[in-house]
Amino acid sequence: MSGPRRLSVPRRVAVDAADDGRPLVVDSREVDGVRESWLIEDRWWTEKPLRRRYWEVVTTCGRDEVVFHDLQSGRWWRQR
Amino acid sequence: MVRTYVLVIVCVLIPRFALTTAAGDRRELLQAPVALAPEPGGAQQVGEVSPAAEAFGIHPGMRLGEALARCPRLTLVPPDPAGVADFWERLLVRLESMGAAVEPERPGLACFDARGLLKLHGGIEGVLAAVGRALRFPVRLGVAPSRFAAVAAATRARSRRPEIVAGGGCRGSGARAGGGSLGIEDRERARAYLATLPVTLLRAKAVLADLPEALERLGVRTLGELADLPAAALADRFGRAGLLAHELARGGDSPLSPRPASEFLREALELPEAASGMQLERGLGLLIDRMLARRERRGRTFRAVVISAVLVEQGGTWREQFVFREALSDPLRMRLALAPRLALMPAPAETLRLTVERFGPLASDQRALLHDPAAARAARLREAIRQTRAAAGPEAALRVLEIDPDSRFPERRAVLTPYEG
Repeated sequence: MSGPRRLSVPRRVAVDAADDGRPLVVDSREVDGVRESWLIEDRWWTEKPLRRRYWEVVTTCGRDEVVFHDLQSGRWWRQR
Repeated sequence: MVRTYVLVIVCVLIPRFALTTAAGDRRELLQAPVALAPEPGGAQQVGEVSPAAEAFGIHPGMRLGEALARCPRLTLVPPDPAGVADFWERLLVRLESMGAAVEPERPGLACFDARGLLKLHGGIEGVLAAVGRALRFPVRLGVAPSRFAAVAAATRARSRRPEIVAGGGCRGSGARAGGGSLGIEDRERARAYLATLPVTLLRAKAVLADLPEALERLGVRTLGELADLPAAALADRFGRAGLLAHELARGGDSPLSPRPASEFLREALELPEAASGMQLERGLGLLIDRMLARRERRGRTFRAVVISAVLVEQGGTWREQFVFREALSDPLRMRLALAPRLALMPAPAETLRLTVERFGPLASDQRALLHDPAAARAARLREAIRQTRAAAGPEAALRVLEIDPDSRFPERRAVLTPYEG
């Protein structure tokens, strides 16, 4: 059997963001509003620190999405 | 003519096995004075030492303070008991694959009786060549009629030049040495070989580790001098250890007791961050579930397991063997038995492993006296899971197991694990 299958693993997503980091378009869907945003930092004492800016947004088609900007790599990810 | 085979004990020795394994790819370290650091929670004594450290008079088992006083620039390498056990197990399996019934003395030192392999491999030289091919690792080989003499021979051997005590193999007549016991001629030959060797060789036996220093203080420097002493005097001075040392120096030794052939199952879990406490217990539960779902288990119970972990920040490894009071296949009871052991871990872990060392008999369900609907439902569910897995593989029936439900990172909160009814 292979290793354990984790749930809620982040998946890559295409995001256009404003200068202040707020997502404007998520997967070609325009963002209607931001519900919440929060910052998580962890393992700052190791060589692989984790720094993420999470955004919970609602798109114009009504989808609720949670995406985060990896502040280490600069990439965007979707996560539920 | 009666052909009587004498004992032919082959000793396989890998000097400084634990130290070289713990050093890993930092082999250049071994050129400097280096010693294995004491195990966390254990006695403050150094483990194996490099030749450069030996030059300062440091030897395994020396108190850490004394070792540092003798050599202030002594480098301490964190011990890697799990890595050592894994690598040693691989080497033992390779030896067993050539037909040897191996008695492992400690990691880096094993003996086997080569009598049954002489014809198979064409004499003792053929057996030694087969050992080299099987291990694919530089080792020192000693051959002698007794285990202790074989160990002594291996310490004098070089990696490409085995030390064979004369007379090994078979002879035309003489005292029969059956059932693994030493005959008179075997003893005499072993005694003659050992006579000129230093008493420090007794350190190969863990119970005699402290004896050579005391003997040397009394002026007894060789095993021959030790053998000439009266046994009663040694018993008076050193007790049982003295008698054992005397017996070994006179060429005697107990028969080999090879380990039973076994099979090993292992499951490992990479922990996303330094884990301890409740997270480790959940990880352990996951490993137990996965182990129980393994096809190779074939319905058997577990008798002995090993929990091991790779510690964070290159803190080495940790290893704990656990023998269940009775063979188990119930995941709940296993968790109850094993979870308290996790508290002994000296630091948070990066990787947690569970290895089955010994299996018990097949798990059997005993019928209850009274009808229990819940038990009947559970039995039906177990059977359904078994059939599903048989058809669709081990990942056919899974459940969500919360590993770290309070983690701020969603991917660390839960995993899918085999469902155990």
